[in-house]
Amino acid sequence: MVSGTPIWARYFAVIFIVCTALFLLAPLFVVMGVSVSESQFISFPPQGFTLHWYEKVLSSDAYVSAAWTSLWIALTVTIAASLIGGAAAIALNRRSLPASGLMSAALLSPLVLPTIIYAIGMLLLWSAIFGPISPLALAIGHTVIALPYVVRTCLAVLADTDPFLEEAARTMGAGRLQRLAFVVLPQIKPGLLAGGFFAFNISFDEAVLSLFLRKPGLTTLPVQIYGQLEFSPDPSVAAVSTMMIGLTIVLLIIIDRTLGLGKIASV
Amino acid sequence: MTDRLENMALVMPGLLLLGLAFILPVLQMLVLSVSGPDGFTLEHFTRFLSDSYYLGILWRTVRLSALITLITALIGFPLAYIMAKSGPRLRLWLTLIVILPLMTSVVIRTFGWIVLLGRSGMIPSMLRDLGLVGRSFSIIQTESAIVIGMVQVLLPFMTLSVLGVVMSIDGRLEEAARTMGCSFMKTIRTVVLPLSLPGIVAGGLLVFTLSASSFVTPSLLGGSRIQVLAGSIYNAVTQTLEWEFAAAQAVILFVGVALVLVPYLSVAGRRNG
Repeated sequence: MVSGTPIWARYFAVIFIVCTALFLLAPLFVVMGVSVSESQFISFPPQGFTLHWYEKVLSSDAYVSAAWTSLWIALTVTIAASLIGGAAAIALNRRSLPASGLMSAALLSPLVLPTIIYAIGMLLLWSAIFGPISPLALAIGHTVIALPYVVRTCLAVLADTDPFLEEAARTMGAGRLQRLAFVVLPQIKPGLLAGGFFAFNISFDEAVLSLFLRKPGLTTLPVQIYGQLEFSPDPSVAAVSTMMIGLTIVLLIIIDRTLGLGKIASV
Repeated sequence: MTDRLENMALVMPGLLLLGLAFILPVLQMLVLSVSGPDGFTLEHFTRFLSDSYYLGILWRTVRLSALITLITALIGFPLAYIMAKSGPRLRLWLTLIVILPLMTSVVIRTFGWIVLLGRSGMIPSMLRDLGLVGRSFSIIQTESAIVIGMVQVLLPFMTLSVLGVVMSIDGRLEEAARTMGCSFMKTIRTVVLPLSLPGIVAGGLLVFTLSASSFVTPSLLGGSRIQVLAGSIYNAVTQTLEWEFAAAQAVILFVGVALVLVPYLSVAGRRNG
């Protein structure tokens, strides 16, 4: 705090931070609490402690198959978005292409268009050309919305690297592929890793595209949860949600280790 | 192979994906919104714009989004300011508290609010026990539930947007104002707030568009009677199967969002450039 902050402002800051943190985290805590409650109905505060609902999730065909669907799509999206976004970031960072400003704006544009507009467009186009929705349609859609995050983290990482290293390698006789593999790839690696984990998280948690591009047999975890919430859910929804929150926390820790959370917040 | 060829080869997959799987679908939506059985038609638009039910949905969407934007700004500015002024350790923790909900699926966060705000949920029961409200009081399936849930979902966007700007304010400006006799509040009002305005405006425009275009939280917390535009689009796609009508509503949303996004991009661009 700036020296000379009045004492009431300090008290206000503490109370304000506690209330806001509670407000932001309350829904997550509540879901975690419900997941271990012994009650047959969804209720908070939880009564007793049981892992019964976790067993129920793990032995439920609907949840397990939705989890596999989500996992496969998220892995495909992670690989595709990292490859495509990383390569584009390398080229854009060199700033030698004509209209590279326009290109980076285009690559970041899925960030600003609301997903629902994109989702309906994707549904209409896919149905017009290929007919029924397939997992591929969903994977492509998720790749498009995850791409800007990979491009952005990679560009942020590349901006801090030394462009003359590649030049030095060239002078020393390294070929194009050698330079990409031994100079640029190590430079971009933290951005690629963080961007890849972001892409995984976006695809795994995404609900809007998945709700529009669904058909029987193509249900991701968020869609499965949404469907349960529309009817009468039992606490197993809370158990599966808690597992997803746990996965998000793990991904956040990994992203913090590879790139630093402060950096994520500022890009 | 020249350098330019190498760079083109690197950027091309991304541009191709964007052209085929992003721009083309949006164009398809635009085309379908004006297609009828006999070719070009504006009937889907006139149907929406001449029906008081749909105009009510549009008005509710705008009104709620404006309210949500205002509340996120009122919470987000002080939060970002306190984050900027705290030490690096505390700031990391606060950043984590802001980012964790942001990265959690919106379906799960809404679920948490359903439990908290539901008929026998903790918050209504607490208010009833305190005698602040009557027996029949309920929050869920009201606009208040939508606003509470959406503010929690969108607050991180506002906070991070303001934080980026507040962090770049030269601390000596505040010290100078204090030395010259400004009170703490006056320094905030006349120095910090005006300098943070680009972040608040950019965050506000972003929150407004995200709020106007979301349907998961509004339809789960507001129920089927309190419909917003995005929910109406979802219903037209999945329940009544009127895809052309859904496309027309999406175009109306698109136009509204574009009106907000053009100033957003210029504010954000000025900040980065």
